[in-house]
Amino acid sequence: MTELSHLLEECFVRCRNLDAPLVDRLQAFANELRGFGPHFQAAVDALISRLRENDAGAAAPKVGEPMPAFLLPDERGELRCLNDLLDEGPVAVAFNRGHWCPYCRINIDALARAEEEVAGEHRHIAAIVPDRQKFTLWLKSDARAPFPVLTDVDNGYAMSLGLAIYVGEELKQMMLTSGWDPSVSQGTDNWMLPIPATFIIGTDGIVRARFVDPDYRVRMAIEDLLAALRSAD
Amino acid sequence: MEMHQIRYFLAVSETLNLTRAAERCNVAQPALTRAIKSLEGELGGELLRRERAFPHLTELGERMLPMLRQCYEAALTAKMVAASIRNGDIAPLSLAISHTLALERFTPALRELSRAIPGLEINLRRGSDSEVGELLRSGSAELAIAGALPKAWPRVEEFPLFEEPFGLVVSRSHGLAGRAKAEIKDLASEKLLISTGCKVFEELKALLAANGIVGAITHQLATQQDVLTLLKVNLGVAIVPVGAAQENALRWIPLEQLNLVHKVFVYSIAGRHRPIASAALFNSLRAADWRFDIETKRRGEAHS
Repeated sequence: MTELSHLLEECFVRCRNLDAPLVDRLQAFANELRGFGPHFQAAVDALISRLRENDAGAAAPKVGEPMPAFLLPDERGELRCLNDLLDEGPVAVAFNRGHWCPYCRINIDALARAEEEVAGEHRHIAAIVPDRQKFTLWLKSDARAPFPVLTDVDNGYAMSLGLAIYVGEELKQMMLTSGWDPSVSQGTDNWMLPIPATFIIGTDGIVRARFVDPDYRVRMAIEDLLAALRSAD
Repeated sequence: MEMHQIRYFLAVSETLNLTRAAERCNVAQPALTRAIKSLEGELGGELLRRERAFPHLTELGERMLPMLRQCYEAALTAKMVAASIRNGDIAPLSLAISHTLALERFTPALRELSRAIPGLEINLRRGSDSEVGELLRSGSAELAIAGALPKAWPRVEEFPLFEEPFGLVVSRSHGLAGRAKAEIKDLASEKLLISTGCKVFEELKALLAANGIVGAITHQLATQQDVLTLLKVNLGVAIVPVGAAQENALRWIPLEQLNLVHKVFVYSIAGRHRPIASAALFNSLRAADWRFDIETKRRGEAHS
């Protein structure tokens, strides 16, 4: 681990462990990250404004539309499909970027606590990342997540929903310096990532609520997710 | 980015002609141009150089092409799976696996596939690495799993699955069976069992010669399974990858001075349609945690 990645890990732990809502914990990490240098922030801001200007993620399933089916391996290699998950009740499907991403680790940590709250009500969460099983297993145990963490190889499912984005050469070099290398966990060197969108899906397979923001530093608020999941049928 | 944007870009990269690309995609040319412009906007650079009548790929376009194609094919697969997952139709899977690989390595993935796709019909072929590669190329197999194949085949895509070290394998009743490790000189008085197409034979012979062992008796056998069968009755010893020697009757021992690893890949043909079963298996194999699998087996051995 480089000195920088060590500092970033400390910073992550501090923010994850804050006794605060998810939105504030993510914001706290983003604020701390600004202290690490303006170049990284400039590259991130440039990517996000490019994505916004070109409506990245806008074509993803909207409220009232059916969520396309998937068949993806979970962290133990079991193939999970959306229909089977919906047999047990409404589901929140949360795309995340990978085990290396501090925002995703904070998000999965918050989702894990949310799942504990609603599992008894037959409402569940599933996370989807492009990482391979060794890393989904790690992500799951890191957050003590009771829900499956599914592998979307080469971001195929995300791409089919219009949620895959290309990191870009400039940000790629900066991420490598920070110790964030998705090519290792994805098993491919194409530097594609999903927009970390969240969909709440009713048992009929119809999207009841969605959160799609190309700014990966913000995620669906847990209160909104729980409210949508509880009102879904 | 969206699938149609990539589809249009791929069509332009293949035709190098906007009119023909638009025809192929069944779309008006201005719409095709607009979609590619939007993709360029998202990527932050131009993919096509348009100054002349016929477009050419820019440096960024060339660099992005294989990445976009890979992601696009993965997305096509995801859409196809979505369309066919619950129809219960017969789902054929033609798979070729090199006989240097123990089938046990792949049984968890096949069992899971059979559970998730009730209509699964497996057609499994075995052969040497190159035979397995030929089955893939000729279309007799949708996926092939084997060691390294020659790079000369243009449309064959390879994805690394795992690496496993070669070592010495002996019967449990063999004199070396209790050893934690062995050395080349331990092989001085042993007979060697070799399977046809064994890639490490030449390297092994050189290693033996370097240690003063020449003219060792070798049995040439058709397949690795035959090697394992004769190993069990103590006809000799063999050098095989760790994954091939998981049977109880055999012992795998690290061989000092031998730094050979068996690299295993899953192969497919770029652009060829993958039916649901091979698409799902392809993703399972790529996602699988092979290292964990070996550790589980080792822990299992330690308990037994």
